[in-house]
Amino acid sequence: MKFFTKDRTPRGKILAYCVLVLHGAIALFVPILHLTPTDEQDATTMLQGISVDHWLGTDGLGRDVFSRVLHGGRPSLVIALVATAIAAMIGVLLGSFAALAGGWIDEALSRLIDFLLAVPTLILLLLIASFFGQDPVILSLTLGLMYAPPIARVSRASTQILLARDFVRVARLQGGNGLTILVSEILPNIWQVVFNEIAMQFTWIILAFSSLSFLGLGVTPPTPEWGLMIAEARSYMTINPVSVIAPICMLASLVLAVQALVDHE
Amino acid sequence: MGLSQSSSMLFGGKTSAFRDGNVKSILQRVFFSTCAFVALAAVAFIGIDALPGDGCTALLGRFGTDEQVSECRTENELDQPLINRLGSWANDLVHGDLGYSIKRDQSVDEIILPRIRNTLFLGLVAAVIAFPSAVVIGLLVGRFPKSRVGRIINAGSVIMMTLPEFVTATILWLVFAIWIPIFPGVTVVSSDASLAELLPNVWMPALTLAAVVFAHSMRTTRAGVSVVQMMPFIESARLRGTNERVILFRHILPAALPPVVNAIAVDLAWLFTGTFVTEAVFNYRGLGRLAIDAISDRDTSLILPIVLFSLAMYLTMSLVADIVVKILDPRLRVERR
Repeated sequence: MKFFTKDRTPRGKILAYCVLVLHGAIALFVPILHLTPTDEQDATTMLQGISVDHWLGTDGLGRDVFSRVLHGGRPSLVIALVATAIAAMIGVLLGSFAALAGGWIDEALSRLIDFLLAVPTLILLLLIASFFGQDPVILSLTLGLMYAPPIARVSRASTQILLARDFVRVARLQGGNGLTILVSEILPNIWQVVFNEIAMQFTWIILAFSSLSFLGLGVTPPTPEWGLMIAEARSYMTINPVSVIAPICMLASLVLAVQALVDHE
Repeated sequence: MGLSQSSSMLFGGKTSAFRDGNVKSILQRVFFSTCAFVALAAVAFIGIDALPGDGCTALLGRFGTDEQVSECRTENELDQPLINRLGSWANDLVHGDLGYSIKRDQSVDEIILPRIRNTLFLGLVAAVIAFPSAVVIGLLVGRFPKSRVGRIINAGSVIMMTLPEFVTATILWLVFAIWIPIFPGVTVVSSDASLAELLPNVWMPALTLAAVVFAHSMRTTRAGVSVVQMMPFIESARLRGTNERVILFRHILPAALPPVVNAIAVDLAWLFTGTFVTEAVFNYRGLGRLAIDAISDRDTSLILPIVLFSLAMYLTMSLVADIVVKILDPRLRVERR
């Protein structure tokens, strides 16, 4: 749907890129800024509003909200990036392999993808996090597996369209093996569509992980994380609304920036 | 399309939407869904069984001695081999017995049925708020994509769809329970309260959920409309001088509807399977809240039926969507004449 991209202003996209770069820079460089330590509690300065010492006030344990908000994206970003990489690898390989192989292999893999799509995501995540502990490796593996099927479906569909094209048929007739065709003919041509889907899944993974943290099963408490911060700050939201609004703004700006760059059609 | 057309000609072209090809493919889908359900149920049973801990460790906690745990296991037949337990569980399930929660000392259906009712109620209220308005607004925005209001609604829908539920919920809570206190912030009624008692508590979670599903189905409608209105038959209707409103509701809407039905079905399955985060935020006693409690007490006897319920809901909803799309498809109706 080319004509749809036209009415989204490029200014919006530039803004979205800036927000993303800013988020990346904050996540990368916040440790060298030497802000107030995120776990430094101070019972004398609990639940303060905005001040010179604490730019966004303090939370219920007297911790500096500004510093926690800047640190709060790191766990979700790392886990989401790893999980997205896993999901992308599994999804693209599975999907394009299914389309290339065709026949019963394609049928079987498509059914498998349908199967996996029916798995209730959040229950599985909660179960894994509750029974195997809040281990970031296990969580990112699980997230990666669970968000692979939609990527696989898109890769399969776009590979299938390409199979009828002459250059792919020529490559196959020349007797190239599947992997070579996949890497040199298919991937460069489906990459744009597939990458779009990967970016979309990246936001869903961030949201799933922060929802998990919000429910208390993502990161373990002293770690600053936006979902967990929102959950904690909700109980004293009436006294210091900033402590809940700040992480909301950070989380929202990150996911909205990615969504603004994704083509929805 | 071509295939079903030729088969209907071969078999004498019946006049209903349920022609041979359709009935066959619907039966195939029912068969596949049933197989998928059985397979997924078995996988869920084995998977949940493989998790460390069972009903007895949940009851006795970490302080139970090994003897107490093994005594409790013998008593509840948890020491049988996996295959036997799978068999007796499946047998009970077929006979309508969902099992027994050792931890809560209550039969599972007694615990789960009021929760399912509450979740269905919440989901229905959200659906009634979201879907009719989503289809109408999606139609209009798709019809006038360049208008200022259309663009604002478009951007707003991305925000509504992308913000996690707990953020939407927290914002709604801040606005409608604290700044302008018109709704109760937390559900305080018990899980088997009557629907009338539940009603004041349902609005905020329902609005939270409605925001998500509204955005999804609105965008699907809009996308469908913008494709359909470029098609030649719309142009020809316009050239025949058909009224714009008739074009919108009689020509564009039916043709754009199939993907919308699919989107609504997926959304309904999501609404009806317990929306964990929203229910947790508002402490609404539905299935999602129960699932979170069951998972944190490691009460596997409750987790399994909840997983099965959401699987069944998802599969049924996508099945229903497929059938409805087959019936609604305007191309089939044109053929009938």
